[in-house]
Amino acid sequence: MAQECILVIGGGISGLTVAVEAAEAGYDVCVVEKNPYLGGRVAQLNKYFPKLCPPLCGLEINYRRIKENPRVRFYTLAEVEKISAKGGSFDVSIKVNPRYVNDRCVACDACAQACPAEKPDDFNFGMSRTKAAYLPFDQAFPQQYVIDSKACKGDCGKKCQEACKYGAVDLGMKGETVNVSASAIVMATGWNPYEIARADNLGFGKVKNVINNMMMERLAAPNGPTGGKILRPSDGKEAKKVAFVQCAGSRDENHLPYCSYICCMASLKQTTYLKEQYPDATADIFYIDIRTPGKYEKFYWKVRDMEGVKLTKGKVARVEQAAGGDVKVVLEDILSGKKVEQTFDMVVLASGMEPSTRTKPVQLGITYTDEGLIVPSSLKPGIYAVGSAKSPVDVAKSMQDATGVALKSIQSVLAGGAK
Amino acid sequence: MSARTLNPDLGFVKDVISSGGESLKKCYQCATCSVVCNMTPDANPFPRKEMIQAQWGLKEQLFGNPDIWLCHQCSDCTAYCPRGAKPGEVLNAIRKMSIRRYSKPGFLAKMAGDPKSLIVLLAIPVVILLAILGSLGHLTSISNIPRGEDGSIVYAKWIPVPFIDATFGTAAAFALAVFIMGVRSYWKDLSSGLTPQQIAAKGGPFQNLAPVLSDILAHRKFEKCETTKDRAQAHKFVFYAFVGLAITTTWAILYLYGYELLGIKAFGPFHFGESPYPLTDPMKWLANVSALALIAGILMVISNRIKNKEKAGGGSYYDWLFILVVAGVAFTGFFSEIFRLINAAPVAYPTYFTHLVLVFFLFAYAPFSKMAHMVYRGTAMVYGKLSGRA
Repeated sequence: MAQECILVIGGGISGLTVAVEAAEAGYDVCVVEKNPYLGGRVAQLNKYFPKLCPPLCGLEINYRRIKENPRVRFYTLAEVEKISAKGGSFDVSIKVNPRYVNDRCVACDACAQACPAEKPDDFNFGMSRTKAAYLPFDQAFPQQYVIDSKACKGDCGKKCQEACKYGAVDLGMKGETVNVSASAIVMATGWNPYEIARADNLGFGKVKNVINNMMMERLAAPNGPTGGKILRPSDGKEAKKVAFVQCAGSRDENHLPYCSYICCMASLKQTTYLKEQYPDATADIFYIDIRTPGKYEKFYWKVRDMEGVKLTKGKVARVEQAAGGDVKVVLEDILSGKKVEQTFDMVVLASGMEPSTRTKPVQLGITYTDEGLIVPSSLKPGIYAVGSAKSPVDVAKSMQDATGVALKSIQSVLAGGAK
Repeated sequence: MSARTLNPDLGFVKDVISSGGESLKKCYQCATCSVVCNMTPDANPFPRKEMIQAQWGLKEQLFGNPDIWLCHQCSDCTAYCPRGAKPGEVLNAIRKMSIRRYSKPGFLAKMAGDPKSLIVLLAIPVVILLAILGSLGHLTSISNIPRGEDGSIVYAKWIPVPFIDATFGTAAAFALAVFIMGVRSYWKDLSSGLTPQQIAAKGGPFQNLAPVLSDILAHRKFEKCETTKDRAQAHKFVFYAFVGLAITTTWAILYLYGYELLGIKAFGPFHFGESPYPLTDPMKWLANVSALALIAGILMVISNRIKNKEKAGGGSYYDWLFILVVAGVAFTGFFSEIFRLINAAPVAYPTYFTHLVLVFFLFAYAPFSKMAHMVYRGTAMVYGKLSGRA
């Protein structure tokens, strides 16, 4: 008989929170994560706002809670293949893709050193390259390498295998299907940065040194492609004159009609990265409205009043390449009524949050908005959605939500499943 | 800073909304429009400020400003607007209201924008023409209509030229008078911020006219549109077709009166005298080419409008009425000639009659319909040149 558990789809901060809260209350949980690691978007962040502490310390606590709790089972490189309602519960098939590295791996890096093939580093949004045998990032959980079979062709895998002293590389590993019986399902499917190249006037993908805000997190992160130095991608020059373009794709019916909630705080936070690294740096934030809900207002005041920080009301609607890899932005400064052009070392597009269910909806009789957000009222008994699957939201709110959803899931289990 | 009193006119806001600017209130002032617009000057760019002026009902600021007409409705703003506020359509609605404000009597402009009045506007030329035909006894039956010597259809024998000239000359004179008064009053509002000395120092209206005409002839502004790139081409066809038809019409008057009153003799391939003119006459070639260009141009206009509907907005009754009248003039003119040449009397006369009704419509109501754009936009462009905004 298939094992019984609360099924959590997505191993980001919301999913992990549901998992540890429910498991620590004594309930079995299965987490399905498509990446080779847990932690989701939070793992890619340099710092949390407004406290400016590194997210990895919080994540590591969660990793430890998972490691110590046998009630949490997690599947990485995994996707839900099929769900069918059966009585009060759901029969779920989980497709687990082969990692080609087993749990004998001690993360010694020998396979990566021996690996002849390279691939763009997805964790760093392609701003660096990694070997085809790689650890997604240094604190990744599980601490277990992975071999990308698409990038590692020919005798590439063999070289990795030969380099491994522990017999951890298993090139014959096959994908498998795991069947579980879920008494509750939690949609913790998270989000992707909106593909802002679709806004053809903002230059992303065409104009050098135009990046999105998640790339900025990676540039500033100590485990990022530049070791935490904010250097612009085209030539590695210190980015000291930086523009932040707010509402890049958000509050825009041609893209995402909603406010992505976190981007104003993200840009203000990233301004502090910049000022901390280069005290003489300037940051120009171009906005329609600065939205720093609730207590975040104070953070906004703090950053606004920093030297070298300038906030200008007016949406950047044209981004062009300037000489020497610089970037020109054009906007109307609304308060003075002048069309202005300014040139920067680097431009950060505060691109919004797109639910991952936009491209990969889970068919559970769920109604999605046009943008792929889950409409909570459409969820059937026993199915819950959490965090950014429902609405753009920050980490703190996701975790509060997740704690509530953990309780709801437990109630479903106690009631004998979906009724 | 001196205190400034704003006079919001809520009725005006409602008017903008009901005149095709129903998306007005969606604007949240992000200024994407001002940036993507290739027409606007950098200082006080449009159309973002027009959107808030319209939202607040500040009509004096909108009318006493060349910007609403410097906009050529490329719809780049509308395509990129994050809110679907369609600034291009809103400014179009404001332009329509500007026409109503300056082209007197206002009730005619109101009627030109109101579908319910269409029947009345059409009835006026219909009644006039029927009265003429009735008084000549040319309405009883087709066989009663005098023909040419060879039995061919001669429209001038159905409605003699003096009647045509009296009717259309009066309509044209009326339109011209309305335009002159309208332009004077618009110019007064435009230039209220400048002293006569300042205007003179910038070359005055007439010295600035030549560069504006050059811009118009070359469609230099129009060519800057991106979203509706094809419009320049379509407009060129229609514009030059009208130029061609204006030349042939003028020439036709000279033909007739030069021959009749001054006894000027025909020379070269040119025919002098009453219509119709033979197909060998170079002026007839120009007329026919212009007619075909008008048909081609107006079909392009219609197809572009349909093609760009999603990005640029569908246009209002006011736009479509003008487009369809021009299309009607072009097609009825073309078929009048064809039916005449093939001697198809039962269809020829009604077609010609419709043609005359539509031409009257186009001429007499020009100051009140979208046709007025050429005069008011031209005026705004001259003021724009003078004041450094265009």
